[in-house]
Formats: sequence, C-alpha cells, structure tokens
Amino acid sequence: MNQGPTILIVDDDEGHAILIRQNLEIAGLNNRIEHFRDGQAILDFFFTRRDLADETYLVLLDIRMPKVDGIEVLRRLKADPEFRKLPVIMLTTTEDSREVERCHQLGCSVYIQKPVDYDRFAEAIRRIGLLVPLLLVPPLGLP
Amino acid sequence: MPDRATIEQARPNEAARAQLERNLLATVKELHDVKAALDEHSIVAITDPAGRITYVNDKFCAISQFSREELLGQDHRIINSGTHSPAFFRHLWSTIGRGQVWQGEIRNRAKNGSFYWVETTIYPFLDDAGKPRQYVVIRTDITQRKADVAELHRIAAELDEKNKELEAIVYTVSHDLRSPLVNVQGFGQQLTRACEAIHAAVAAEGGGPVPAERLRQPVDVAIPQALRFINAGVSKMETLLAGLLRYSRLGRVALTIRPLNVNGLLTEILAAMKFQLDETGAEVRVEPLPTCLADHIQTGQVFANLLDNAVKYREPTRPLRIVVRGRIHDGHAVYTVADNGLGIAPEHQAKVFEIFHRLNPDANTGEGLGLTIAQRVLERQQGKIWVETTPGGGSTFSVSLPAIDPPAPSP
Repeated sequence: MNQGPTILIVDDDEGHAILIRQNLEIAGLNNRIEHFRDGQAILDFFFTRRDLADETYLVLLDIRMPKVDGIEVLRRLKADPEFRKLPVIMLTTTEDSREVERCHQLGCSVYIQKPVDYDRFAEAIRRIGLLVPLLLVPPLGLP
Repeated sequence: MPDRATIEQARPNEAARAQLERNLLATVKELHDVKAALDEHSIVAITDPAGRITYVNDKFCAISQFSREELLGQDHRIINSGTHSPAFFRHLWSTIGRGQVWQGEIRNRAKNGSFYWVETTIYPFLDDAGKPRQYVVIRTDITQRKADVAELHRIAAELDEKNKELEAIVYTVSHDLRSPLVNVQGFGQQLTRACEAIHAAVAAEGGGPVPAERLRQPVDVAIPQALRFINAGVSKMETLLAGLLRYSRLGRVALTIRPLNVNGLLTEILAAMKFQLDETGAEVRVEPLPTCLADHIQTGQVFANLLDNAVKYREPTRPLRIVVRGRIHDGHAVYTVADNGLGIAPEHQAKVFEIFHRLNPDANTGEGLGLTIAQRVLERQQGKIWVETTPGGGSTFSVSLPAIDPPAPSP
C-alpha cells in the first residue's frame, strides 16, 4: 500500500517530536517519519542531499528553534524553485496573529497550534498527503 | 486788531484745541499704560528697518543677560544660538520686509552661553509709503514649555520601548511556557493510554496471572517515558517562571550609583570564579580600567555573567583566553570582555539578548536569562551592552557605562 509522503518533523523539543510521531501512528498514519532537531538540520537535508527526487515529503515545522528558526526555514524553502511546492505545516505553540499571517504570506500550507487535536491533524495530513504527488513539480535535469 | 467776528470764530477753536489736547493726553496715558502692561508681561525690543536694536525692556536684558548698553545699536545676531538655518531667518526677514507680521519660536543664546526659547511676534510699523519704519518684537519665554515637551517625548519613547519589551516577553512566555505544557499534557495522555493497556491486559485474564509480555511495553517503555517528559516539563516550567519573576523584579531593585572601581570589582569576581577558571585552564588578563558611575552589585553581576559565559561557551580544542580592556569614549567608560571561544554567528548576535534565548540548548544548562538581565541592568544605569566577533574567533562583549567625569556639554 502507498504509505504517502515521508513526514519530516522539525522540532527542537524531543518530547513534542515523540508525541507527534506516536499520535500520528495511533491515528493510523503509516508514513515514514523523520525527526530534525533544528532549522539548520532540515536545510542541510534539503540543500545538500541530491537523491531527493524519488521521494515525496511533508514538513511539520516548529517556529522557535535554536540556530535557524522555522520562519527562516519556510522562507528559504519557498524561495527555492525546487522546493517551493513542498507542503509545509507550521506546528507551533505561538498564536501571535502577526506570526500566523507571516507564515501564510510566505506560503505555508496549514498553521496549527500546539497542543494538537491529533485525530483532526492526522486527517489534515492524509488530505495533504494525497495532494503531494500533484503538488510536486517533476525534478529538473532528469531524463 | 481782530474784529469781533474773528474773535467769535476763534473761541470755539480754542475750545476744540483744548479738547484735542485732553484727548491726546488721555491717549498718551493709555498708550503708556498699555506699554507698561506689555513690559510687565513680555520681552520687548524695537529695531530700526536694518534690524539694529533701538529699544529693549528690562525683561529682554534679564533673559539675555546683556545690559541695555551692550544691546542698543546691535542687531539680534548678538543672541543668535546657531539653532536655526539661514533659510529660517531669510523667511522671517522677507515676511516683515513686506510689512507682514511674523510669528514663530526661536531659540536664543544668553550672554553666558545658556539657551532659551522664545515665542516671538514681530510687528512692522509702516511709514506713509507702506515701508517698515521700525519693528516691534514681542517675545514670551517658553524655555520651560520646550523642556516639558522634550521630556514628554522622551517619556513617550521610553514607554514605547517598555511596551515593545513587554510584548516580547508576552510572546516568549506564550511560547516557552506552553512548550513544556504540551509535553505534560501529551505525555499525560500517553500515561492514560498505557494504563488502559494494562487495564485491558489484566481484565482479559479475569483475575488469573497476567502474562508479563503484555505488560512489558506499557510498564517498561510507555510509562517511564511519559513520566520522564512530564517531570522534565514541570521542572522546565518552574525554571521559566522563576526566571520571569527574577527578571520582573529587576525593575524594582533600588540602584546605588556611585564611582565604581571596575578593576577592584573584577578582582573580586575572578577570586570568586577561581575554581571554575582553574578547572578549565582559563587565562584571564585584566588591563587598567577606567572608573565609571554605576551600581556595584548589579554591575558586578553583569561582568560575572560575561566571564561565566566565556567559560561556558569556550572552544574545547584550545585553552580559553579572556582579555578585559577599557577606554573612555564620548563620556562613557567602555569595557570589553574578549574571549577566544566558540563565538556567535553574526545573524545570532542580536538574539543573544532576547529573553530565554539559548544558542546551544543541548550542551549547556541555564535558563537563557543572563544577557537579557545584563542588558536590563545596564539600561537602568544609562549603560549599554553589545557583542561583536573577536578578530581570530571568539566573542567580544562591550559594556558602556557613564564615565566618572562626563565633559560639560559645549555651548
């Protein structure tokens, strides 16, 4: 069965990442899940690895993180022609309306505030997951 | 001899003239009174068409500190403060030169170099041809009002700053305090689930022995993990709340500002840190430092925090070197604490002063308040703190505080 896009959790709080992973599993999602501990790690993943073409990804992005924060990660991903269609869900404890507005302007798919209602969250991921193959542009430079 | 008719005619003329004289006298008296009232209230000067002073009242002499003799025959450049542009005075002159009234606020300079502000009205007296024959200049001292307005602006700016600070705190608190709460709540739910799993396993055996296999996951994995995160979340919240309280108390601590021997202060701090410094093999060099005006205890905390950070964020592959220097710049004593440690990337340099911000949360303990508090403490003493990259790596923190003898402002 098609397990959908790989979910990349970017969160400096290990507990939050475990909760997200376990609750998505409990809610019945069987996507592959990877955890990145700060914004720099996820940027390194996307901008230094060259074998991304075969996979689809969905990013769950926290905002307040050491090194590079989530808004900067969102900005860099959305400014890149290769990654700008990547679905990004902002998942954060911040409810500042200006922050929400800014993320939407930068092009995040969904903005969700922690703590999360996981059943609805899993449903949102399923729906976005179904769209991912349509959203991703064909990788450049391949025959 | 005048004939009778002429005399008859002259009598009413005499009477009219006497009446005229009485009127004139009354008018002169009234004018005199109006002028006296004006002199009582205002700073008054009269100039000829070229601007040379032909009359000044006592108030003019008092505020300008020049005697009448020094002023008469001069023009108003004698009290020019250099505040206003040549265009400002050109506009003034072209207005009154056309015979129109000019009104405005002017900053003047008294004989001793001090400044005063006057609200000014210049009223041209015109001759028969409509040309100004003299100017009457009436002024009101508004120095206090100007100072009040400036003070009002300063307070408004300060309030604005405080509001921004408060906003930043509310923002941080809403995130940072909620973050551990997410773990407490989330892992509480995990505990509930683990208990349900145990309950189900026990119920399935109907009172008989429960196979260890079915209890292993919840008891060995899920419950300890949940408890670990719940306890960590609770203690994180406790630390954050304690830090917040400490930060909010700062604004209320009374400061004792007096000349501070910073070399002596650093000797005390280094003695208290001796164990920590020896343990890491750190070498600290303190150069002769200028004296400043500051609170001993609070400023000591700032320097202790900077040295502590240098130790905490040292580069493990080389021995830590710290150099403390000082200089006087623009009425401020500027101290620098330079280390050869890990350094701070330029894009993070502004963030290190943010409340609860920590550059390396995994590697070091601490609540992320040290530099925020240092900044607050220094601002309350008219000081500043900033950070730059040390040439050759590491960080250089600069602290500025009012110098002991600020040069008097130039007139």
